[in-house]
Amino acid sequence: MSPARYLRSALTLAEFELRKIRHDSSQVWLRLVQPALWLIIFGTVFSQVRGIASGPFTYRQFMTPGILAQSVMFVAIFYGITVVWERDLGLLNKLLSTPVPRSAIVLGKAISAGVRGIFQAVAILGIALIIRVPLRLSVWSVLGVFAIIVLFGMCFASLSMSLAPIFRTRERMMGIGQAITMPLFFASNAIYPISMMPGWLRAIAVVNPLSYVVDAMRALLVTGDFGSLGTDVLALLLATTAMIVLASLSFRKILS
Amino acid sequence: MREATGDSAAGPAPAGPEIVVSNLVKDYPRVRAVDGVSFAVAGREIFGLLGPNGAGKTTTIRLLLTLIRPTAGQIRVAGIDALARPAAIRQISGYVPQDVSVDGELTGFENILMYSKLYGLPRASRRTAIAEILDLLELSDRAGDLVRTYSGGMMRRLEIAQALVNRPRLLFLDEPSIGLDPGAKRVIWDLIRTLRSELGTIVFINTHDMNEADALCDRIGILNKGRLVTVGSPAELKATVGGDVLSLDSPAPDFAGHLRALGHAPMAGAGNGPHGPAGHAEILVTEGERLIPPLLEALRGRGVEVEAVSLKKPTLDDVFLKYTGTRIEAGDSWKEARRTRRTFRRMVR
Repeated sequence: MSPARYLRSALTLAEFELRKIRHDSSQVWLRLVQPALWLIIFGTVFSQVRGIASGPFTYRQFMTPGILAQSVMFVAIFYGITVVWERDLGLLNKLLSTPVPRSAIVLGKAISAGVRGIFQAVAILGIALIIRVPLRLSVWSVLGVFAIIVLFGMCFASLSMSLAPIFRTRERMMGIGQAITMPLFFASNAIYPISMMPGWLRAIAVVNPLSYVVDAMRALLVTGDFGSLGTDVLALLLATTAMIVLASLSFRKILS
Repeated sequence: MREATGDSAAGPAPAGPEIVVSNLVKDYPRVRAVDGVSFAVAGREIFGLLGPNGAGKTTTIRLLLTLIRPTAGQIRVAGIDALARPAAIRQISGYVPQDVSVDGELTGFENILMYSKLYGLPRASRRTAIAEILDLLELSDRAGDLVRTYSGGMMRRLEIAQALVNRPRLLFLDEPSIGLDPGAKRVIWDLIRTLRSELGTIVFINTHDMNEADALCDRIGILNKGRLVTVGSPAELKATVGGDVLSLDSPAPDFAGHLRALGHAPMAGAGNGPHGPAGHAEILVTEGERLIPPLLEALRGRGVEVEAVSLKKPTLDDVFLKYTGTRIEAGDSWKEARRTRRTFRRMVR
């Protein structure tokens, strides 16, 4: 298959994912409840705790990129469940009977997760504005955040899809999703800086893709300090590529 | 892949059979699902695999569609080696799986549009092609509605529409009428016949429903426990079971003797009738419906009154019984599939 048609196939899958959101946007709104609670309740209470070294910025400013990344991670990690669900229904069976290569299907679904992440981002940034969290919002910072979110969504959706052929049932995937996301969230710089962590947790945070994503978005939205942005993007690109390759390899076993 | 796109629909049919399967084997960890199956499907025919739930029909169709790789054996579809160029086979095939294959959260039109893009239909002809298919399947007026609002029969028609979007040379249908009411079933059968006669599509179906196999297929392969036990047209297969059974009831004394005198020896163990075992006879005949009038005439000539006559034509179930020693256990898979479908509709609603 030519590269152009390969990419077109992947984008087609993402396009129809978006059309589904257009027909029924309720899940986009429902998925906002949790980040809204984090920002409004957790953020408000923890602003009173002066012990978190958020530098010259308020705690809410500090945590907004973290909550944004967390919510994208939650959306993406459940793509594996969607894949298992579609396999159980038979939709996947049908999709695999087309000439579209397996890896293009993985890529298409990963892009869908990334695009869904953008919806989350727009809404969470909206909430942040409503509760008056000062953010550096410019065309470039927002586009940068979107680009990082798309990559991050693709990364975690691929991780989830690579696990689907192994764990096979929706229930197990649900458990695995939680078993991955919560530890990664707490072992990252999302709601407290890495400098506050004990040594062993710091070691995990350093290899945690979430830390790089939060760091990059924090630079774009809050600090304006782009010193480590290059490293962040590179780490994210590496993790995303690795996950897509892994998912493509694993996906061959999804029907057996 | 592109060369396959080019010669798929318009090109001349090659000489020789469209599907050739030889010594096909598919092993799963605990079971051999397909066990040395060989057959050939000629152009322009409706070929059916008939067998009970778990006979290996779905595995066979998935092997033909290159969804899974065989453990051993060879498959050629339209002259293409399935192991060497799987994508080329997928490009010229249409597939209607037993399970749901349309997305309830998209409209009927979108479901087809998506597949037209995945098959790489040129943008210019896409809309016309989809409109034609929707028209053929009589779905045009509901094409803009979400599929979760469709009835079971409409969903099935949409699934067939979706499978036709690339104008497939071969159409694979896994239990095409499963879970449908009799009316919807007939619509699907008529449609499949139309596809064969008007578009020249080669149709390969899986079914556990002997009526469906009988009504629809030009040739049938009977599959049991992964083995193909026999292949032939429905008429040929039924002829192998012996012929029609005519059963007669008469109050006349020595009824059997009269029949014997006319050259129709009653079969042993025919059972009982309203006039006892002596007044009930079953005879094996060919073309029973033509034999009844002269036989009754002849019996009347001998002063024998016949009270009741019934003719039993052999069914494919009898054929199945002859070759496998068991009957097709209809019911299980059927109910299961209908349940899946209902669950699906409920869950996406």
